[in-house]
Amino acid sequence: MLKLIQVEFLKLRRRKFIWLMLLAALFMPLAAVFYFSSVKGTGVDPIMFYKWTAFSYTPWIILPVVLGMLCTMLMYNENQYDMLKQLWIVPVNKMAYFFSKFAVVLVYSICFMLVTATASILTGVLSGYIPFDSESVLYLLRKCMEISLLTAFAVLPVLAVAAAQKGYILPVCLTLIYTFLGFILLMVNMYLHPLSSMTAIVMYDIPGVVFDQPLNIPAAFLCIGVWAAASAVLANVALVRRK
Amino acid sequence: MMKDLLWAESQKLHRSKILWIAGFATVMVGLIVFAQGQFTFYDRRYIDGAGWFMTAAQSLATFYVLPAVISLLGSYMICREEQEDTLKSLRLIPVDEVKLTLAKMILAFVFSVLIYLLLFAITFLVEAVLHLEALSVGLVLENLKIYFLDGVGVFFAISPIIALVARMKKGYWLALVFAEIYSFAGLFASMSQQLKTVYPMTAVFNISGYYNANMFQVLIGVVILMVCVILSLLILKGWNRKTK
Repeated sequence: MLKLIQVEFLKLRRRKFIWLMLLAALFMPLAAVFYFSSVKGTGVDPIMFYKWTAFSYTPWIILPVVLGMLCTMLMYNENQYDMLKQLWIVPVNKMAYFFSKFAVVLVYSICFMLVTATASILTGVLSGYIPFDSESVLYLLRKCMEISLLTAFAVLPVLAVAAAQKGYILPVCLTLIYTFLGFILLMVNMYLHPLSSMTAIVMYDIPGVVFDQPLNIPAAFLCIGVWAAASAVLANVALVRRK
Repeated sequence: MMKDLLWAESQKLHRSKILWIAGFATVMVGLIVFAQGQFTFYDRRYIDGAGWFMTAAQSLATFYVLPAVISLLGSYMICREEQEDTLKSLRLIPVDEVKLTLAKMILAFVFSVLIYLLLFAITFLVEAVLHLEALSVGLVLENLKIYFLDGVGVFFAISPIIALVARMKKGYWLALVFAEIYSFAGLFASMSQQLKTVYPMTAVFNISGYYNANMFQVLIGVVILMVCVILSLLILKGWNRKTK
């Protein structure tokens, strides 16, 4: 399994575009600088600044879309060059293959949120909007870790659909719809969709965040767990069928 | 020649699943916004307000989903010739590659308008079922105009991205990511009055009538979208010179 994961990372070296996608992590920190320059001015509470840069649209929209694209690319690559047959001949265990792809998604998600955290601190401190204090920085890093780990699990359904498909059109459209659904369901029912459940888990202790639904952290974990398990089963069935 | 190219491209699309997938994405957008309409504000659900569904669906779809789907279709049509290795055969005929790309762009434009009209049809049907008596002809026609102009405007706004993809051939991933970030950034552009006027995605809303815009803002919006079209034509022309 570890060798498979290593091979997956070695393959990434040839894919420049995947590294280019990390630039999307800078979007919200840069947007926050423009927002606070026009609205608030200097002396902003660091947590409020980080809420803009790292705890809002980044976990709701940007990170899920980027991870969804990554899932599609990882799976489509093997299909495009007809590599799967050769992998099955080696033989490679189908679930090990699936989870090695997931490991890449997980590590990429952590890298993405670390870039967001670094950019948040740099843009906030360098522009003079927030003071540098270790307590808020540690809080930001902890939250970014939570977001990255949970989002990687929350996009498992996209990875499973990408594994079940030969093309890239359906998984990509599904990524957009899946992310949009998670964002909208935040306001309706947070315990139906893994992405909105992830938000419930991450946001519950952020100062100033008020939920209009009763908070139920076990239900949120259960939602993510059920969807992840169902995705693993779907991926297994799809990969076994595709001989 | 152009007519033949358009016919051939439409035949290729018929055989592809992408139209069904795009239709499915549009229906899903309708369903998701309908789910949002269940949200209660001051003891009243959003969906209970006549016209809310039609108005909310087009703006949310434009900021989050449809531009990326339209650019995906445009880039898919262009990149598939390279991917499926049919470009060599087309060159042997010979087919003018710029005309071929233009035919694909025209189809993407038609698709953009149709997808917005499909969303309008879905939202209108739901509104009619929920509260037909509260819907006025003026409200329905106003929304039809907004959806139609959104379809036209969004295509013009994203045409440079599709043209860029035509130049890069294998850059369909870029088209998707660019289009998604481009449309999503419209949310932030709409916070500033000046930016709202000049940013292509929000300029579309000024033209369509979704935003309350004065004549000057509408004219600026038209100019901005024309600049987008000229930019995409220049990219295509530059690419033609390169291939010759």
